Amino acid sequence: MNLDVIMALRNIWRNPRRSVLTVLAIAFACLLLVFMLSFQFGSYETLINSSVTIHTGHLQVQNTGYGDNPDIRKVISRPETVVATLRNMQPVQAVSPRCQAFALVSSRDRTLGTMVVGIDPTLEAEVSSLEDLIREGAYLTRPGPDRQLAGALAGRLLARNLQVVPGDEITLLGQGRDGSVAATVLEVRGIYASGLEEFDRQTLHIPLRTFQEVFFMDNAVHSVVVLADELNSVHGIKAALEENFAEQSNLVVLSWDEIQPGLKQAITLDLISGGIFYIILVLVVAFSILNTFLMTILERTREFGIMMAMGVKPGRLIRLVLLESVSMTLIGVFLGIGAGCLVTLYFQAQGIYLGGAHELLEQFGISGRIHPRLSLLSVSLGPGLVFGITFVSALYPALKVRKLSPVQAMTAV
Amino acid sequence: MCKFYPCILCISALLIASLPDPLLAVSAQELIENTWNQLRGQASRGEVEMTIHRPSWERTMRMRTWTQGRSQSLIRILAPNKDKGNGTLKKGEDMWTYNPKINRVIKLPPSMMAQSWMGSDFSNNDLAKSDSILLDYTHSIVDTDTHQGKTVYVIKSVPQPGAPVVWGMQELKIREDFILLQETFFDEQEVPVKVMTTQDIRLLGGRLFPTVWTMRNSETQDEFTRLQHVQLEFLDQLPNDLFTLRNLRNPGRL
Repeated sequence: MNLDVIMALRNIWRNPRRSVLTVLAIAFACLLLVFMLSFQFGSYETLINSSVTIHTGHLQVQNTGYGDNPDIRKVISRPETVVATLRNMQPVQAVSPRCQAFALVSSRDRTLGTMVVGIDPTLEAEVSSLEDLIREGAYLTRPGPDRQLAGALAGRLLARNLQVVPGDEITLLGQGRDGSVAATVLEVRGIYASGLEEFDRQTLHIPLRTFQEVFFMDNAVHSVVVLADELNSVHGIKAALEENFAEQSNLVVLSWDEIQPGLKQAITLDLISGGIFYIILVLVVAFSILNTFLMTILERTREFGIMMAMGVKPGRLIRLVLLESVSMTLIGVFLGIGAGCLVTLYFQAQGIYLGGAHELLEQFGISGRIHPRLSLLSVSLGPGLVFGITFVSALYPALKVRKLSPVQAMTAV
Repeated sequence: MCKFYPCILCISALLIASLPDPLLAVSAQELIENTWNQLRGQASRGEVEMTIHRPSWERTMRMRTWTQGRSQSLIRILAPNKDKGNGTLKKGEDMWTYNPKINRVIKLPPSMMAQSWMGSDFSNNDLAKSDSILLDYTHSIVDTDTHQGKTVYVIKSVPQPGAPVVWGMQELKIREDFILLQETFFDEQEVPVKVMTTQDIRLLGGRLFPTVWTMRNSETQDEFTRLQHVQLEFLDQLPNDLFTLRNLRNPGRL
C-alpha cells in the first residue's frame, strides 16, 4: 500500500474519538439531507397526485380559450379522436371526457348557482377519485329501466345548502349550447366530500349522456382529462399531444401546473424555504469540520517541521493532509447515505402520519399520510453539497502547511 | 382693459358655475322620472324580439311581455319552438321562472337580478327598468346636445353613499321629450362596462317610443344584444291574476 495512505490512516486513528465524532457529524448531516429531500419530494408528489385526482387530472385537452373564459360553446367537437389518440400513448393511464356548464340547481326550497359537470361514470372512476369520495348514497350507475330520472352526485356542502339527501329530486336550469333553455329533473344518488371546500360547495356531477341531451351538446365535450402513469411522464405526454394537435389549432393541452397554478407556487415556496434550511445546516457542519481540521494541523506543527527537515516537500504534506480529510469525509458521507437510505426506505414503506397538519393538507386533498420518495437526486444532492463544502473547508488548513519553515515549526509547541 | 377682459370672463364663468342651480338639479331628476314613466307606463302589454349576437353565433327569440306598475312583470317566450312556453315572473324583489319541459316553477335567487338574462347582454334589472336609478342615484346635467332638432340632456348619475347598487356611475342621454337615447354603465373606477343605445323612435302604443334597444359590451366589439319592440300597448290596469305563480305555470294563456 502507498506509504501516504498508510500514514494518513494512522494519523486519522491517532485521535480516534475526534475522528469518529467528525465522521459522525458528516454522516448525520448527510442522513438528514437525504431523508429531508426525499420527504420533500415525496410530499410534493403525494400533494400533486392526490390533488389532481380529485378533479383536474394530470393533463386536460380543451378548446383554445376555454380556460380563460369557460363558454359552453367552446367545445371539442370530436372527442372520440382525441380519446383514441391518447389511448395509444404508452404513459397514459386513463382518459375521460367531460362537459361543464354553470346552471341553477334547485331543491324544493333553495336555488343555488352551481358548476354542473357531465362525466362518463365508468371512465371517470379511472381518472379521478370521485367514486372513492362518495360519503352518502352511491356512485352513478347507468340509469336502469326502473329509474325514470337520471342520477346526480352533489358535493357535501352543496347538498347541505340545498338541504337534500340521496333520493331527493333536484331541478337544473341553465342555458344550452345553442342558447336555448336547458332544464331537467334529476335524482340525487350520492354525496361526495373531497375536503376541497370550493369543490364540495360548487359542483354537481351528472352522467355525460344526460348533460349532452339537456344542454344540446350533440357529441361535443369541454375537456378530455388525462391521468399519467406517473408525474414525470406528464411533460412527455404534453409535448407528444401538442405535436399531434398541430394541425387542429383550436385545441390546447394544459398540464396540472397550468390548471392549478397555486399548487405549483406553493411547492416552489416550500422548496425555497427548505433550501435555506439546508444551506444553514451544511454551513454549520462545514464550520465544525473546519475547526477539527485546523486543530489537527496546529497540534502537528512540530511533526510537520521534522518531516520537512527530513526532506518531505510541502506539496506532499498538503496531499497527505487532504487525503486524511477526504477519506474521513467520504466515510462520513457514505455512512450518512447508507443510514439515510435505510431510514427513508423504512418510511417510504410505512408512510408518515401527519396528525397536526391534517386540516391544512385536506385543502389539497391529502389523506394525512405522506410517503417519502427516494430518488437519485435526493440521495446525491445533499451529500454532494456536504462533500464539496467539507473539501473546501479542509483546503484552508492544508494550505497553511506551505507557510511553515522547518526550523520554526520544530520549535513550536 | 383688453388685458383684463379674458380674466374677468373666466372669473365670472367660475362664479356662475359655482352658483347652486336648483332649477337644473330638479329637472335632471324630473327628466329621468318622466322618461322612466314613459317607458313603463301604468301597465303595458307587448311583444319583443331579442337578438343575441356573438362573433361566431347569433340567436333570435320572440317573447310577450306584461308589466304593471313599477315592480310586476311577466315575460313568456313565443319562439323559437324549443323554448316556447318558458316564462319569468317578477314581483318586487322576487323572481320565478317556469319551464314547460320539466313543468316546474323555480324561484331565482335575488343575486340573479344583476346577472345576464337568457345569456344576453341585458341583466334582469336592465329589462325591468327597475327603480334603482330613480331611488339610489343623484343626477346632474353635465352637457347638452341636439338630436333631430330637439335638445338632448347628458345626465351623470352617481350612486348615493351606501346605496346597494351595482354600478359606479351611469351616464344617460335623454331627449327633451323624455326619450332615452343612451345609457352607459360604468364600474367603480368609472370605466364604461356596457352601453345601451336606442334607435328607431316612433309612435308605438300611442306614445313616442324608442323601439330598438341595443346593449353592447364595452370590452368586446362584436358582441351585442338587440331588443326590438314589435308591438306595445299601454293600459291603465291589467287583470290582477296575471302576475301570479298559477298563471306563470299555465303557458296556454298568452
